[in-house]
Amino acid sequence: MKTLLRNRKALVGLAIIATIAILAIAAPLLTEYNPATRTGRPHQAPSMDHILGTTRIGQDVFARVLYGARTSLMVGFGAGLLITLVGTVLGIVAGYRGGKTDEVISFFTNMVLVVPNLPLLLVLAAFIGQASPVVIALILGATSWAWGARVTRAETLSVKQKDFVKSAEMMGERQWRIMAFEIFPNVISIVGINFIGSVIFAIITQATLEFLGLGDPRAISWGNMLFAAQKASALSVGAWWEILTPCFALAFLGIGMSLLNFAVDEIANPRLRTGNRLGRWSLLVRNGEGRL
Amino acid sequence: MAFLFRRLAFYLAAFLAAATINFFLPRLMPGDPIQLMFSSAGAELPPESLEALKLTFGFVDGPLWQQYLTYLGSIFTGDLGRSIKYFPLPVTSVLGHALIWTLVLMGTATIISFILGTWLGVMAAWKRGSRFDVIVSVSAIFATSVPAVVTSLIVLFVFGFTLDWFPNGYAADPSLDPAFTLQYISSVAYHGVLPMVTLCTVLIGGFTVTMRNNMINLLGEDYIVMARAKGLSDRRVMLWYAARNALLPTVSSLAIAIGTILGGSLVTEVVFNYPGLGNVLYQAILARDYPVIQGQLLIMTATMLVANFIVDVSYVLLDPRLKAA
Repeated sequence: MKTLLRNRKALVGLAIIATIAILAIAAPLLTEYNPATRTGRPHQAPSMDHILGTTRIGQDVFARVLYGARTSLMVGFGAGLLITLVGTVLGIVAGYRGGKTDEVISFFTNMVLVVPNLPLLLVLAAFIGQASPVVIALILGATSWAWGARVTRAETLSVKQKDFVKSAEMMGERQWRIMAFEIFPNVISIVGINFIGSVIFAIITQATLEFLGLGDPRAISWGNMLFAAQKASALSVGAWWEILTPCFALAFLGIGMSLLNFAVDEIANPRLRTGNRLGRWSLLVRNGEGRL
Repeated sequence: MAFLFRRLAFYLAAFLAAATINFFLPRLMPGDPIQLMFSSAGAELPPESLEALKLTFGFVDGPLWQQYLTYLGSIFTGDLGRSIKYFPLPVTSVLGHALIWTLVLMGTATIISFILGTWLGVMAAWKRGSRFDVIVSVSAIFATSVPAVVTSLIVLFVFGFTLDWFPNGYAADPSLDPAFTLQYISSVAYHGVLPMVTLCTVLIGGFTVTMRNNMINLLGEDYIVMARAKGLSDRRVMLWYAARNALLPTVSSLAIAIGTILGGSLVTEVVFNYPGLGNVLYQAILARDYPVIQGQLLIMTATMLVANFIVDVSYVLLDPRLKAA
């Protein structure tokens, strides 16, 4: 954690996410408007009354983007947690148990990896019909665990060979205990990377599914804002504020999450660092081995 | 050879899994699956066409396994039913026509961004810590972290609407007839610029980051030190010793990336009103045209499997150890 706070990318990323979270929580304090109802004339340009303008049916864009942040964050973190949970459990079990268990789990993992994700989600969401944010989070959790399972399994395979695991086995520890208390804490960096990646994926995918018209149109979320704006041809009629607001919100959150992601990646693998603060390693390189 | 055969068998199983999802999904939903699948057609569908559609999707009298076999039978004979929105066009021809546009768009964008992204990654890793590396790495992070929907909409807003440099939709001027004429092809190229720029922006960062990270991990290896000790030129060490080996994991990550590329391409097509799979699918979703929605999963899975197989083959060609095995 301390190393994380010393990394500039991580700090900026965390600051962005915290800002969005605070804005989302404080939404009722920041705007008097109800995001779901008509509060002004349709497609009003940004003004003092509506600082980010109104939608085609006269809802306040600023209120919608603030309340929408709640949905995006909750689906992102909820689905991310679910994806990571499934992936981690399957990965550790497959890697540690080996044999037939491993073969079965790996086969399914590889299969899920080659079936394209978005088309699969589209079919699921289309049949479920008007999927609410909770349902979207659930189907994301059910279909997107494969990458995490694969990397966790690979990491488990190497941890499994370590002496402390062998000694726990000798002492007759039960398998689930070894997996939960010996293996899991040692693959935690992979689990962390998997979690952040999954949150990014979930946020993007939820927005995409809703943009394609598969979400519940009553839910207030950034994806639905894009869908409504696209359906109202907001760009053609010049209502750029209706489309650009959720766009920038999504881009901002995406950049924040990715900065965090790359920072964790760098901490787990110090060679990848950029910038001036290459620390001891770069000094060593500069003095000793030239450009190597 | 055995390796490739094993992969082929695996791909067949994966395709079967996609088909199985298609088969069970309507049957797992509450209510009557037949009603669910074809209700959007209303009274427009002639009764004999409805019967034919039911047969294609395995809605026959008999136990579940018989229905399943009937459905698999129609899929493996290339019958995906008929589109309800574009009735009476068969799903295969609706999707097949769109797939060509998607493949052209996706293929070109993938090749461009793979070459450019890999090159940027090699250079960034080689000049690690320099200003070039910082600029490339940070912009790669930004480019990959912005969702394709957002990139598409912003590109469309800036270059299509505000600057008005490029057309806002369609794959070619609608007044032109499709033909191998210079006029038509240049119109396609002109209309393709914005979707292509968007897709490349979405894709390039991923290739850059993967390649940079692979390179950096390799640059510490002994054989690189050895190559330098031999007095080989920088360029030779960079390209023939480091980049060549760093490319291997990049190629295999390409196989996994193809799904993401497909997804990005779907969204981009919707935004730019490009007549590819994404747009057809969007229309199908709005019209609850289930045969088309199900068909796209099969067609895209098949596309992805073919792409994976191509990657497998190139992997064998790139990695001599696999040829012997």
